[in-house]
Amino acid sequence: MQIAERTEWNLLATPLVAFLLLCLGFPAVVNLVYSVSDISFATLRSPTLSGFGNFAAVLSDGAFWRANWFSLRFGLLTAALECALGLFLAIFLAPLFKERSWPLAILMLPLMVAPALVGLMYRLVLHEFAGPVPHYLWQWFGNSPAFLGPNSAFWTLIVVETLQWTPFAFLLFHMAYHAIPDEVREAASIDGANAWQRLFRVELPLMLPTIAVALLIRFIDGFRVFDNVYVLTGSGAGGSTASLSIYIYEAFFKQGAIGKAVAASVLLFLASFAILYGLNMLARRKKK
Amino acid sequence: MVTILRWIVFAIAAFAVNFPVIVTLVTSFKSAREVSTNPGLFIQAPTLENYAAVLQVSDRLNIFLYLANSLAAAAIGAGIAVLLALPTAYAMVRGGLGARTLLPLIVNLRAVPLVIFAIPIYMMFQWVGLLDTRIGLGLVLAIVNVPLALVILVNAIAEVPVDLDEAALIDGASRTGILLRVIAPVCRPAIATSLIFGFITAWNEFLFGLMLTTSKALPVTVGASFFFAASGGGVQWGVAAAVMIVGALPPVILGLVMYRQISRSMMAGAVKG
Repeated sequence: MQIAERTEWNLLATPLVAFLLLCLGFPAVVNLVYSVSDISFATLRSPTLSGFGNFAAVLSDGAFWRANWFSLRFGLLTAALECALGLFLAIFLAPLFKERSWPLAILMLPLMVAPALVGLMYRLVLHEFAGPVPHYLWQWFGNSPAFLGPNSAFWTLIVVETLQWTPFAFLLFHMAYHAIPDEVREAASIDGANAWQRLFRVELPLMLPTIAVALLIRFIDGFRVFDNVYVLTGSGAGGSTASLSIYIYEAFFKQGAIGKAVAASVLLFLASFAILYGLNMLARRKKK
Repeated sequence: MVTILRWIVFAIAAFAVNFPVIVTLVTSFKSAREVSTNPGLFIQAPTLENYAAVLQVSDRLNIFLYLANSLAAAAIGAGIAVLLALPTAYAMVRGGLGARTLLPLIVNLRAVPLVIFAIPIYMMFQWVGLLDTRIGLGLVLAIVNVPLALVILVNAIAEVPVDLDEAALIDGASRTGILLRVIAPVCRPAIATSLIFGFITAWNEFLFGLMLTTSKALPVTVGASFFFAASGGGVQWGVAAAVMIVGALPPVILGLVMYRQISRSMMAGAVKG
């Protein structure tokens, strides 16, 4: 009876596990094999083992480290900005959402638009002849910077990403803030806490786990950014805006350097696995 | 006083985060001549000519094909993810299956940059002839959707009283029968939410569309970028703007209709992740 039941549970989960093994497990193996192989589009099906040459090539490639550095800075900066702005909006605007929720829908709207399309929209917004931003800057200040030129591209991309995803952080904080029971706030007031003390001593500490989660999610999304950066600058601006995702994509599709692209994928996989494993361990220890 | 200040801050924030959409919407109603003479935020002579131009099918640009591709791939991507995640979620909640490894493993997939798998998937698809097909793109989008669908469904099933299962068991129902006749109907709202969330995510995906399709199965996110390089004499901004609005509309409408459910599932996904 027990064994039969066990089998039935396993059967129910089998399709998903099989699907993931086929679509992710197999590719992971292909990655590993190809990363230590001599491979080109001509020899795609018959890789010959060649040791760690691909890894050496990636690790000695200046563009790989520049891409890492871009992704790291981009992820950290956008996560910090999005969470700071989102936290401010969630707390300062909280009374507005008490009786009505349509303002929430307006702030959430950017989350529904494809990041690739948002990137394309900014091509229009920032265009020197057709875009309103340069138009008004010329009109008001008689000058407008080259937003996507080598000097400003990084900061333009930071603003683009931050404006689209601040609503995500805002939303998480909004829900965490409203999940704090009213009794807790009342108790703090009765104890003589003023609004600021209540915010810093009671509300923010209660929201801390959500803040940590939001920072993490936004950092990961910023680190692996592809869509909006790709359509706005490509690796453009002298390669200064190539994220790690763009580096891998271009190594494969533009240069045909399969070995290098695959080796970089494996390195990225190991790094994300190590970070996620560490975080899970940390979370588990906290629960105990 | 403070309330007015709050509304002002809200208005600024709403304007700033929606700025690209507003500009694109405004531009899509300007004639080609007006775009070059008046790039500002106000329209002098609104026109629908850009939308008329978008709907005109040409050899190189076919918005109906892109929309149909996105619709098919997103529907497949959302449907398969839920179809696979529902029985697994049931086995996890009631059978205690994979709580220690499988669930965290799948949930953490959301945090792995999927570009890692892009190259082998490209090769696999080449071998089995799935490159540039709607089904191929849909399958990959299902991978993207599985983690969140699983989290939403696990949460939903955990809230269904066990008594319902046990009553059905006593009546001689099998686990599969219970899943289909008891659990699935009770969890209909969660299933709908994960379908819609998956559909929006899949519709908005870009990287795999760019890599795995070239012509027949191009989704609208990739196809839209072609309108930027289409004409010889520079970009037709009005037409490009209209394309972007059309391409962005389906997920935005779904999102606005369902924003309460979507914000809740975002929270669920974040807390579990």
